Amino acid sequence: EDAIAKRKVEIDNGPAMARIRESIQLDPSLPWTETLVMTYPHAIDVDVNDDLNREVAFYKQALQGATDARKLATKHNFPFTRPSDYFAEMVKSDAHMERVRQRLLDESAAIKKSD
Amino acid sequence: VDDVEETAPKKKKNKQRVLLLSSRGVTHRMRHLMNDLEALLPHVKKDSKLDSKSQLHLLPELADLNNCNNTLYFEARRHEDLYLWAAKMPNGPSIKMHVQNIHTMDELKMTGNCLKGSRGLLSFDKSFDETEWGRLTKEVFTHIFGVPQTARKAKPFIDHILTFSILDSKIWFRNFQILEKDPLQPNGPPQTTLVEIGPRFVLTPIRIFEGAFGGATVYSNPEFVSPAAVRSAIRREQSKKYNVRKDAED
Repeated sequence: EDAIAKRKVEIDNGPAMARIRESIQLDPSLPWTETLVMTYPHAIDVDVNDDLNREVAFYKQALQGATDARKLATKHNFPFTRPSDYFAEMVKSDAHMERVRQRLLDESAAIKKSD
Repeated sequence: VDDVEETAPKKKKNKQRVLLLSSRGVTHRMRHLMNDLEALLPHVKKDSKLDSKSQLHLLPELADLNNCNNTLYFEARRHEDLYLWAAKMPNGPSIKMHVQNIHTMDELKMTGNCLKGSRGLLSFDKSFDETEWGRLTKEVFTHIFGVPQTARKAKPFIDHILTFSILDSKIWFRNFQILEKDPLQPNGPPQTTLVEIGPRFVLTPIRIFEGAFGGATVYSNPEFVSPAAVRSAIRREQSKKYNVRKDAED
């Protein structure tokens, strides 16, 4: 019954993947404003099971991306910040945001009570 | 007319449209994740569920009918496992991934919000550029998750950022709202802060195929263990404990 664990056949055909990538690649002369892609110059190197530090690492990546993108946007003369008088539908409805707010209030009330 | 065209060369555009659909048997959480993606990506065209899981070859045709050059296909198995195919149409490649740790925008813990249809920034960490499969995945994700400027419902401002990070050979997805002001100091100096909007999920790459939903495998992840195998291993481990106890009783 000591079955030998089946070894998986690994396929990692680098040249084929490089060729495919070149065949679908977007025109490199496209301005940045067409794709809005940022590359974070660091690798994420944290313990996967350490929830807090992992999320902090993702946050840092996003923050760096946002800051760099703002500079790029200024350079490209590209509108970035939404003016405060521009209103449009949001991904989360007002009713949903109200529930989120209520939950925050409930939480802080609970903390105060326990103090 | 010709003169005008010569003096002002046609501006190059990033034209992407994404077909989004699922198989039958998706749970509510999987469906909500799809709705979240539809809300965030205005260049997505959602289609009805695909009837048969064995007929993936219909997908390129379906994408063509909808004028889409990308497809995101969610495949649910056993009502608990979710797989995601991210594919370029009509000639591939296709990336098959296992989706885990889904949190949708409905959850009250994530307090961010953004305009419906605003173009998100995309951020990839450095690890994507270190392997060939990573570079290919980055390219495909750039097409699928990057909202083109010409998308019909796109808004002209940027208020959120999608991050893709490789950790533990998995791809972690997060979506943050970009705030100009620190919410704790509304009158302070402008400072960029982020609030998570959601959704969250983790993708484990399984295989990359050369074609659209088929063709030769160009990458397979040796570390991937199917969720069914994981569950049966856990059960075997539990039964081992039981057997040991029973043997001791005898």
